[in-house]
Amino acid sequence: MVPLSLTKSGEKVVVRSICGTGHLAKTLGQLGIIIGIELTIIQKAKESVIVRIGESRYALGAGAASMVLVEPRK
Amino acid sequence: MKDIRILFAGNPNVGKTTLFNSICGVHQHTGNYPGVTVEIKTGKRQINGHSIIVSDLPGTYSLSAFTPDEQVARDALLSSGPDVVIQIIDATNIERNLFLTTQLMEIGLPMVIALNMCDLADEQGMTIDADCLERNLKIPVVRIVARKGEGVEELIKTIIQVSTHKTPAVHRAVEYPHSVTSHISEIGNYLSAHASLLGSLSPHYAAIRLMEGDEHLEKMLHEKGCTIPFIDTTDPAERDGIAEDILLARYKISEEITTCSVQCSMGRVMPGDLIDQVLTHRLFGIPIFLSCMWFAFQLTFSASNPFIVGIEYIFGYFTELMNSVDMDPLIRSFLSDGVIGGVGSVLVFVPSIFVMFLLLSILEDTGYLARAAFVMDRLMHSVGLHGRSFIPFLIGFGCNVPAIMATRTLQSRADRIITIITIPFMSCAARLPVYVLFAGVFFGAAAGNVIFFLYVLGIVVAILSALIFRRLVFKDEPSPFIMELPPYRKPSGFAAAVHMWFKGREYLKRAGLVIFGGVIVVWALATLPAGVEYGSADSLVGIIGQVFQPVFAPLGFNWQLVVGLIFGFIAKEVVVGSLGTLYGGEEMLESSLAADPTLHPIIALAYMVFVLLYLPCVAALGVIRQEMGTWKWTGIAIGWGIFVAYVFAFIIVHVGSLFIGA
Ligand SMILES: Nc1nc2c(ncn2[C@@H]2O[C@H](COP(=O)(O)OP(=O)(O)OP(=O)(O)O)[C@@H](O)[C@H]2O)c(=O)[nH]1
Ligand SMILES: [Mg+2]
Repeated sequence: MVPLSLTKSGEKVVVRSICGTGHLAKTLGQLGIIIGIELTIIQKAKESVIVRIGESRYALGAGAASMVLVEPRK
Repeated sequence: MKDIRILFAGNPNVGKTTLFNSICGVHQHTGNYPGVTVEIKTGKRQINGHSIIVSDLPGTYSLSAFTPDEQVARDALLSSGPDVVIQIIDATNIERNLFLTTQLMEIGLPMVIALNMCDLADEQGMTIDADCLERNLKIPVVRIVARKGEGVEELIKTIIQVSTHKTPAVHRAVEYPHSVTSHISEIGNYLSAHASLLGSLSPHYAAIRLMEGDEHLEKMLHEKGCTIPFIDTTDPAERDGIAEDILLARYKISEEITTCSVQCSMGRVMPGDLIDQVLTHRLFGIPIFLSCMWFAFQLTFSASNPFIVGIEYIFGYFTELMNSVDMDPLIRSFLSDGVIGGVGSVLVFVPSIFVMFLLLSILEDTGYLARAAFVMDRLMHSVGLHGRSFIPFLIGFGCNVPAIMATRTLQSRADRIITIITIPFMSCAARLPVYVLFAGVFFGAAAGNVIFFLYVLGIVVAILSALIFRRLVFKDEPSPFIMELPPYRKPSGFAAAVHMWFKGREYLKRAGLVIFGGVIVVWALATLPAGVEYGSADSLVGIIGQVFQPVFAPLGFNWQLVVGLIFGFIAKEVVVGSLGTLYGGEEMLESSLAADPTLHPIIALAYMVFVLLYLPCVAALGVIRQEMGTWKWTGIAIGWGIFVAYVFAFIIVHVGSLFIGA
């Protein structure tokens, strides 16, 4: 399991855990970034990422990206 | 017939405002990024004897409402008691949108779903079974294309029909696991005994909201002295677990319904991915953005030049015409100094402002704006700003007022305050006339560079201010950046032109009222007391200017310039307007400024910098107060602006005179 901020562009990953609670974690949940969901990393700029879930694309700054722990998709 | 009150709810950027404009025949701001609408706009439509009152809400992903704009939407949905709630859904992204549907359904209000962007769904080869959606949700579904007005009449018919149903609305219920339902009924039973506290919420629904973590409702009940079962007796970790179960139940039903009603032809391509990889590139992202800005800047000036020449010609013609007819000297002075001199000096700049609105609107429609925010996030973060603040900043180049409103999309109060304090340093369109005038007169061929320098200086001061306030006052980190990136869309030239026209017209209306009014006051003060030489030091305006002039003496401003600053508070265009009035009219303004012995390029530069930084106009001041919520922060924002303006102008005058002296 690695944080989203350490993945590579083009990787396909599965969310395994969301660290932390509070508004930020809830915001991620509302956007559909929940445990078990598959993400495609579209862009990686330093620690910030752009991910795609189905039809939606989300930009996550370094702080948010480090909260999402993922595993490569089998 | 009774009025039908309806609300437009939905995720951000699904076309709520586009539909609102189409139904009510208005031109509210739309754009291809989340968070365009941040306040409720209400409009009306008469149809078949029904009068429909429509309120367009800010977009929201859920009813949890973590930002002020989402709170506006939530409050309207939960407490304004509309007759029908219309959820606008982006047909190309149904599953995502249904999450909000599962929350709206539970409120228990009659609903209609408007399936928007069906044109794009067709293009992408999606087949959507609207009947299946309708059956599964037990909510009428109407397909529309808001941008072209397709399906809108049918939607209105459905709304009217739903509003006349006598029986209460029953929608599909979300199936929660037993662990959740048992707590819902426990809390619900307790709340039934306190129903009067809940307003229009049903105890069952209020229980669900509490379990999902509605802090607002929880606090309200606690203040009324309630001890809520489960909520007050369970540790936060377990409550989070339950909230998570609710979330998953919502996603499950969204997925189920989508699977049965949407079919995608194989191999849908996502062309945006490739563009994103280039535009948001770690190294190229910022250079690409800066080149776009430079290009836009050049275009603003070069494209508007022919129009400016035309307008100047027309005003020259009027001045000549007036000189050739006989009239009362007072009326002549009013027309040539007041009307042509004051208003004319400002009107010359209208074409640049139109071009600027056009470019901003194209920028907003492509979807690039949200990417720019992402690209700038790291930089913004390092100076203590939230990446998202970048969008208000860009809007601020058009006008600071909507930019300040746009800070409602930020979650943390500290982020909002810092952004509001720094927005006035973004050089709005109204300041442009001052730069063009002074740079043109005192810097000749270098005028373009001087103006670009002013824009950059504004940004630099904004960055410095953000750093200072973040380090010294708030001492925390900006909250993390999370933002949905809209799909790229080809901007419609027609829509952009319409947008420019309405923005520009608004500007012209203001030119007609505020600027004209301000200029007339200056003219009258320059003429009074009777018999005094027009615009001389003995006139009222001269006396006012001289009273304040000593304050600005260290900056080398003469009293005419000071008068410009004072009246410029009404609107920054009035700075040029009043100078036009005092310096002998549009025709003469440039030559008299150049001939004034008290002025030289250094002072001109200091003056432009002062105008850039000193004080937002009355309108901006009003929204700063509204959004800050306190006079304290409003005062700090204003005081800071004046302080910074004075310091910078002072440095320029004194450092500059060293060079000139040498
Ligand atoms: N192709 C297509 N584009 C549309 C349609 N309806 C809206 N749009 C575009 O979608 C974008 C978003 O529209 P808005 O009306 O601003 O969306 P909104 O839901 O009010 O967004 P927020 O105020 O941010 O919540 C704009 O660029 C519109 O031009 C449609 O039916 N078809
Ligand atoms: Mg809107």
